[in-house]
Amino acid sequence: MSIVGSSIERARDVALVTGRGRFVADVDLPRQLHARVIRSPVARAALAGVGSEAALARRGVVAVVTAQDVPDVRIPIRLPVAATANAELALQPLLARDSVRYVGEPVAVVVAEDPWLAEDAAELVELDLDYGDEAAVVDPSDAAAAEAPLVDPALGSNVVDVFPTVFGDVEAAFVEADVVVRRRLRVGRHTAVPMETRGLVAEHDPETGRLTIWGAAKVKHFNRGVIANLLGLEPEAVRLVEVDVGGGFGVRGELYPEDVIVPFLALSLGRPVKWIEDRAEHLVATNHAREQIHEIAVAARADGTLLAFEDRAWCDQGAYVRTQGLLPSMLPGLHLPGPYVWQAFSVTTHAVLTNRTPVGTYRGPGMTEATFVRERMVDLVAGELSIDPIELRRRNLVPAERMPFTYDLGPGAPPIVYGSGDYPAFFERLLTEARIEDLKAEGVGVGVAATVELGGIGPFEEASVEALEDGTVVVRAGVASLGQGIETALAQIAADELGVPVERVVVHHHDTDDVESGFGSFASRSAVVAGNAVALAARELRERAAGTDFAALVAAGETRGRFEKEHPSFSFGAAVSAVAVDEETGRVTALRHVVAHDVGRAVNPALVHGQLAGGAAQGIAGALFEELPYDEDGNPLALSLADYAMPTLSEVPPIETIALESEVLDNPLGIKGAGEGGITSAPAAVANAVADALGQAGRAVDRLPLTPARVRAMLRESDEEGR
Amino acid sequence: MKLPPFAYARARSVDEALELLGEAGGDAKLVAGGQSLVPVLAYRLFRPARLVDVDSVSGLDGIVERNGEHEVGALVRHARLERAELGGAHRLLALAARHIGHAPIRTRGTLGGSLGHADPAAELPVAALALDARVVARSARGEREIAMDDFLLGPFSTALEPDEMIVALRVPAAPARSFAGFREFALRSGDFALASVGVVVAFDEDGAVSRARVVVGGVEPVPRSLDALPLGARLDPDTIAEVAHVAAASCAPADDRTVDAATRRDLVAALVRGALTDVGAQAA
Amino acid sequence: MTGRWHQADERVGVDVVLNGSSVTLHASPRWTLADAVRAHGLTGTHLGCEHGVCGACTVLLDGEPARSCLVLALQAEDRRVDTVEGLSDGDELHPVQAAFREQRALQCGFCTPGFVVLAAWLVDSEPDADDERVRDVLSSNLCRCTGYGSILAATLAARAGHA
Repeated sequence: MSIVGSSIERARDVALVTGRGRFVADVDLPRQLHARVIRSPVARAALAGVGSEAALARRGVVAVVTAQDVPDVRIPIRLPVAATANAELALQPLLARDSVRYVGEPVAVVVAEDPWLAEDAAELVELDLDYGDEAAVVDPSDAAAAEAPLVDPALGSNVVDVFPTVFGDVEAAFVEADVVVRRRLRVGRHTAVPMETRGLVAEHDPETGRLTIWGAAKVKHFNRGVIANLLGLEPEAVRLVEVDVGGGFGVRGELYPEDVIVPFLALSLGRPVKWIEDRAEHLVATNHAREQIHEIAVAARADGTLLAFEDRAWCDQGAYVRTQGLLPSMLPGLHLPGPYVWQAFSVTTHAVLTNRTPVGTYRGPGMTEATFVRERMVDLVAGELSIDPIELRRRNLVPAERMPFTYDLGPGAPPIVYGSGDYPAFFERLLTEARIEDLKAEGVGVGVAATVELGGIGPFEEASVEALEDGTVVVRAGVASLGQGIETALAQIAADELGVPVERVVVHHHDTDDVESGFGSFASRSAVVAGNAVALAARELRERAAGTDFAALVAAGETRGRFEKEHPSFSFGAAVSAVAVDEETGRVTALRHVVAHDVGRAVNPALVHGQLAGGAAQGIAGALFEELPYDEDGNPLALSLADYAMPTLSEVPPIETIALESEVLDNPLGIKGAGEGGITSAPAAVANAVADALGQAGRAVDRLPLTPARVRAMLRESDEEGR
Repeated sequence: MKLPPFAYARARSVDEALELLGEAGGDAKLVAGGQSLVPVLAYRLFRPARLVDVDSVSGLDGIVERNGEHEVGALVRHARLERAELGGAHRLLALAARHIGHAPIRTRGTLGGSLGHADPAAELPVAALALDARVVARSARGEREIAMDDFLLGPFSTALEPDEMIVALRVPAAPARSFAGFREFALRSGDFALASVGVVVAFDEDGAVSRARVVVGGVEPVPRSLDALPLGARLDPDTIAEVAHVAAASCAPADDRTVDAATRRDLVAALVRGALTDVGAQAA
Repeated sequence: MTGRWHQADERVGVDVVLNGSSVTLHASPRWTLADAVRAHGLTGTHLGCEHGVCGACTVLLDGEPARSCLVLALQAEDRRVDTVEGLSDGDELHPVQAAFREQRALQCGFCTPGFVVLAAWLVDSEPDADDERVRDVLSSNLCRCTGYGSILAATLAARAGHA
């Protein structure tokens, strides 16, 4: 019987429910010191100097470091595809040198004997700031204006780069159109906010020369290389250890200034250094996401055929370009066409700097925003044509017989290739399981969204498998567990290939000393790329052992597998949302949410369900509750978890998930990614449901989050227009 | 967000608490449940030199009724107040307490803490004002009663002297046919209210309104009793709608970036309508 | 000034009954109960926000749920403190823990101790709690991974098992 496809439990669950997990704040080393980061209190100023005498004079304070004391380096961009020449000019230093560009920017670090003393001393560090006459740049479309003050003087403009994505002849298609709908849509700044904040413990052993860092996540091997490089060490001298991780969602694990500073301090001070980010810091220091403004026009025929769209977007990158480079600005172009057949489209995204916390990739980056924009427009076009929005989608989804389906984006640009999936059938399945007609009959607001989502990106992963005499099978793979259960999925794959009980399979992924290489866990890639690498390694082992006799497996030694994946996979996804709107107060109550996502083949259905449900909850929250507002001076207004409204159980509706399976041709295991499938379609579906609930007034829905104040404003305006 | 430094002493009795406050010479804060004070300390928004812990002081957790008047001790926890069987309009205190945060906050938070903290969005000050209650404050100099109107001076600001401690809330007997309603609007379960309304209405034998308090909280710097429900009115749906409209129009919402003034008025209207409808249902 | 004042970073012994055993925690006045139990080696109680919103630090204080990041360590003197570690006995899980496991009511596990303590308290002290009460109490804590459906299912299953 195959263990792949069954919902086996994760080995770590017992420890976690009994409070025996080991998260980075639980790591303590003898003689450790505690670091506290001093962060800019203003969005924009020249930094004339840092006064540390008062802090240094405090009992228990061991050091205060500023830009002058740490390497003068910049945090690099991780993926080459996300980098441009201009982006390389806008990278962040470890500590602010001549100027500060956002509230929360690290300026200095205090190191003391305990966290209380460190925080007391940090308050005594004086920042000599000169505000100058130029206002902070806050709004991305204002930032793009020619006369806007520059966030980065090295660039001549706050627009770092412009990314065109073009297919077909847009002008010709618009001429053909019976109707053109134009709108400006906006997604508010919000982000992942995992329940555990970031943290690091670093220790340098002077005898061996090795630097060990606990608290790593997501992309350990890349980070190890960069940390080694920036600190002037050989990569082999640096060891990154992942302990239990309290969620990542894309924002944890990327290299931040602290990831280099804390090990540097351990090296310089000759004692272990521990740094645990507090929640107030987290809200200004850890990557933000999602704020984009899109001005889009969609052309269609009277019979509901979508012809073309033209989109101009301003994508907020914050004050610096971080490790994910300009991906938040690049990904919308690839995701705006969605699961539909278009004659033509043109997207022009502007990657824009603002004097606010830098932007990274939060679960479903660029694609969640693009899906909201496109799916909202599909509903508006449907309204304009008096065609049912579900019917309009049916008429335009890529038909099965056209798979694999390609949008050729011209010379030099890789095409968009939808490899597999019967989109119309998937869509019908969602509608049937959601009992869409019954929902509509209940008189609540019903909204639908369909999308395609990029995942399973390469270029490759390597894994090794060996059978040990004690009866266990050890799998090594360069993935990261952020709570999603990847280690369990890999164990299932190895167990099936080797015919061993899954309980005997142990997956090592925590320690760069133990696992040679890995690209890491992001972009819904691990089950696909690492999973296939594990399968190849296990298959090779079985072949060498000429069977699954355990003794023979042991004797065959350690085998390796390498799986290369040249192109990403695209998964179809869709959601149905039902909401009720209290028109008196503007409160939107999400009643039900059904999400479907093409996972190719579900290795562990329970884990897939968990990912889809968790992602959907975050997406619903982004549609209705979460926002990181700033005032006109660039001061963040969401400073606590009381301000930043992540939903409780009461705000999240029952979520049903459908793991769609399709024939996948680009990898032997037939898997597509599942980590981001739940979130991408959620805000769009919810927004369409709110618009449906509001009737005529709902045409104004074009901005997230749909807070009571925004809903009331739409209703008031509609009332006034009605008079 | 580690707490800032403070000297700490634990009081076993009110007298000891007052002594310790005296020793502190004005730069001390009382702490009981800590649900309001500790987050403020964690953010280092406020740094008292000393904390006097009254969490274990005895004799302040009684709920005593005498001829229709209730005296509620300052250390009565919200969870207890929520379940207290208070008759007539005094039920408003229990209704309001139910809306405070979440269960784990209510097991610790106290009446005295909530009143003393005077958060403009807090529920119990609204209820206390609607019931014409008086704060009983004690110091080494003696005891005094302060009407809620005089007690709440501004956001997080009360008429308490630095050497005074709240020991109880005295709630006068309400007229015979009195009923109460409490409604609030919060974005999420357990959030601070964006607006809250506490109403107490008394009816004469003919069913006309003989006394009314309509108090709005969370919308202005302090909770305020609005002159919205006229005496002699009947509480029918049309009247209720009119009162809701008048109440909303008479509010002066503080400027807030998260919720605009127009929406706050809309919320007040909805909450007044809801609270008065609850009263109407009880009176029927 | 009397001798009753403790200075800010003075280490004080705090006698508590911790998971059923009498122990002395050592804490400064400005340590929270969460700081103190963690320093004592019980790191299952997690700090998610340190300002009383997320509930990851939930413990029982004299048998009632409390956010340990809002309780000063010294306020726990002579009281009963029960943390997540006290719910299981060796390999034997509390029914709520078993239910969380079965229903997959966790992913990263960071919020889990707070939820498990809260849910166990609810199921043990209010076995007749209705669904609305269960939902209301569980709304006290934040989870970012699961979307709550499995947490609710686990708590309802544990309640049914308790019946």
